[in-house]
Amino acid sequence: MDNHELWQSVLAQMQLNISKANFATWFQNTQIISKEEEKVIISVPNAFSKEWLNNKYYKLILKTIFDQDNSIKGLEFVINPRSLEKKEIKEVKENTESNKIDVEQLKFDEFKVNKETNLNPRYVFENFVVGSFNELAYAAALAVSENVGNTYNPLFIYGGVGLGKTHLIQAIGNKISDGPKKKKVKYISSEKFVSNIISGIRNHNIDVFKASLSSIDVLIIDDIQFLAGKNKTQEEFFHTFNSLYEKNKQIILSSDKPPNAIAELEERLRSRFEGGMIIDISLPDYETRLAILKTKLQEKSLALPEDVLEYIASNVKKNIRELEGALNSLLIYYKTNGNIPNLETTKKLLKNFVFSPFNVASFKKIVETVAKFYNLEEKNIFNPTRRKEVVKPRQIAMFLLREELKYSFPAIARKFGGKDHTTVIYAYKKIQKENEQNNKLTEELNLIKQRVYSG
Amino acid sequence: MKIEVLKENLKTNLNITERIVGKNLSLPILNNVLITTDNNFLSLVSTDLEIAIKLWILVKIIKNGNIVVPAKFLSAFISSLPNEKITMEVKDQNLYIECKNIKTQIQGYSSEDFPIIPEFKNAEYIELDSKKLCMGLAQIIDIASTSQSRPEISGVYFSFSKNAIKMVATDSFRLGEKNIHLEEPLKNIKEKDYSFILPQKSAREVMNILENKEGLMRIYFSSNQVLFELPMKEAAHPQVQITSRLIEGEYPNYQDIIPTKFKTHVVLKKDEFLNQIKTASLFSGKVNEVKISINKEKQEIEVFAKSGDVGENRSSLPVKVEGDSIDVSFNYKYLIDGLLNIKSSEIIFDISKEEGPCILKPVGDSSYIYVVMPIKSM
Repeated sequence: MDNHELWQSVLAQMQLNISKANFATWFQNTQIISKEEEKVIISVPNAFSKEWLNNKYYKLILKTIFDQDNSIKGLEFVINPRSLEKKEIKEVKENTESNKIDVEQLKFDEFKVNKETNLNPRYVFENFVVGSFNELAYAAALAVSENVGNTYNPLFIYGGVGLGKTHLIQAIGNKISDGPKKKKVKYISSEKFVSNIISGIRNHNIDVFKASLSSIDVLIIDDIQFLAGKNKTQEEFFHTFNSLYEKNKQIILSSDKPPNAIAELEERLRSRFEGGMIIDISLPDYETRLAILKTKLQEKSLALPEDVLEYIASNVKKNIRELEGALNSLLIYYKTNGNIPNLETTKKLLKNFVFSPFNVASFKKIVETVAKFYNLEEKNIFNPTRRKEVVKPRQIAMFLLREELKYSFPAIARKFGGKDHTTVIYAYKKIQKENEQNNKLTEELNLIKQRVYSG
Repeated sequence: MKIEVLKENLKTNLNITERIVGKNLSLPILNNVLITTDNNFLSLVSTDLEIAIKLWILVKIIKNGNIVVPAKFLSAFISSLPNEKITMEVKDQNLYIECKNIKTQIQGYSSEDFPIIPEFKNAEYIELDSKKLCMGLAQIIDIASTSQSRPEISGVYFSFSKNAIKMVATDSFRLGEKNIHLEEPLKNIKEKDYSFILPQKSAREVMNILENKEGLMRIYFSSNQVLFELPMKEAAHPQVQITSRLIEGEYPNYQDIIPTKFKTHVVLKKDEFLNQIKTASLFSGKVNEVKISINKEKQEIEVFAKSGDVGENRSSLPVKVEGDSIDVSFNYKYLIDGLLNIKSSEIIFDISKEEGPCILKPVGDSSYIYVVMPIKSM
């Protein structure tokens, strides 16, 4: 008979001997924690229960237990306050309701974040809007949170700014840490990771930091691309990664580009990142943007007319953060003027978002982004060299100018130092063809485009 | 049991014990007060299983014994009696009360069913001035969070070190910290510091009950409970004991919240500022927003509030400004709460940055600090 059954038989016996109210008050949340030789240790929720059981029911409980197990000769009560957990979930909901009015009231940052896991409880799967652009990432994240460490390890999510990477990886963390298995989750931004390692090296206590990472079940690192070029950090991370990976601990990473596009990332790390699941989140489509707007509105408990929402969704395309910004400026208008903005006012208010100089692709922007993406200097692209590392970016720049800006071939040729327009046609066709065949190139093109349009 | 007691004496003490007695449906015995003779004293005990209050009154004891009677009822009845000597006697679980020419019988219950108040055997304790503690507590107690979603901030955090006692409360929008400096170091405290989180309700009871009583209060520590005790003036015996459960959990690292670098530093007159905020609050609308604009060039602070339904209000007062001009918006309630808890006539108002924590504190008194978060600026 195990402890649980033993205690059940005690409870059954006690029920017969005392009144219902007494039983409910004194025996709620009690249980046997352990059996030691001749003694049973019983946990009670508070000091009153302890005194009461100890003084009033000691003999009766002991006798009942003794009847089941003759070796028991004594009881000990310990106070173990719990049962707070259930309450919490209920109250959180209440909280969000009472928050309606003072959405704008700022909180101390320290309270938003869970101290142990560093996770922000706001990011959960329930408020993540799924669309065609992120459904794969969503499905993978969900799979990881349900089967920790075994499905996709590591899980590598990448995509442009403001598309929900952080939301998704934090949601995984929140789900796992709230789960019944009490897994230890640690969310850390790569900047924090680097600064921890640096201070560890300086104070000669890097072991402490390492030890703190070795005991966790799920490690989540955001914006891993910032590790690029930091060799010592990469080395430390490599060891941490290996030791966790060997123990089947889940590792979740996010970045703004795929591992093979992160410059100055050590080969052994890159190959490890690629060993699990790599998923991208791309730009949301119109319908998803509309859905996101509606979710956000619901969170802020406000209603806007349909045509206004459609206007925002069709005009603010860059990323989700931008959408939220647009929405916020409407909310502020609503708050200060007291009436719901109509389509006209919306157009006026969102002028900055819609016609921002940053989200229009231009010749300069494309060249700049391409050069930056391939780690070249801008002027190198215009060099009449045939070096491979320059030729490809140049061709891609030409391709994008044609595709995105609809430049004529001769115009592009002129821009690139008076080349013949047939050269441009050749470059365009070459990239177009390769784009269909080579996934890696498609990927790169998407990323470049994303950056061109997201400033 | 048979005793003789003065009406006034009994009445004041019953008033205290009945404070925590509410309607408890699941365990009706908690609606009662336990009356017991204890050497030369009469003890009164009430509890709601979170807090327990135990009081002793000097009485003339003729026969020992005990009884449990409804607390509110007894208190109401005793109040109605003339101010004379009362004789109380227990016979067959009934309480017979005689006062002058009034004779009463109140039905009681067996003391067997009354909860047993946890005892503190050989617990470590410290001694300090009860007035100081209560006054300090009054400055922060209302700040504690009333929501149970984060149990650890629904109480008041106490931290005892050799020369100082810190009391902290926060509801995640604002935070108050009171430091009580002790002229004489705490004697019984060992190397390790004590700290605990006391539920707000218990803290309030401790404050209200001990507020007007002078003397050296003792605080006994145990892992899940704490006991506040005040001795009698007349005899070396406790007069009041308040036992409370503690809140489990770790108090947030609140020190990190208190900013140390500031963009703007303002010194101003409290009462004028408070009045202007109160006036502005009438115009603040649903979000309780008042905007504070600090102007470095003019050396003045402007309080502004506007509501679509009512109108707008603007007032200013000359202040001393160091640092940059800045605009910050606040929930006026949080500002007023902070200002009311500051006792000095001049206050320091420090702003760390837009949308960052701000500090209110008295001039010339480093023992109190109030940190408040602004409303997102428009």
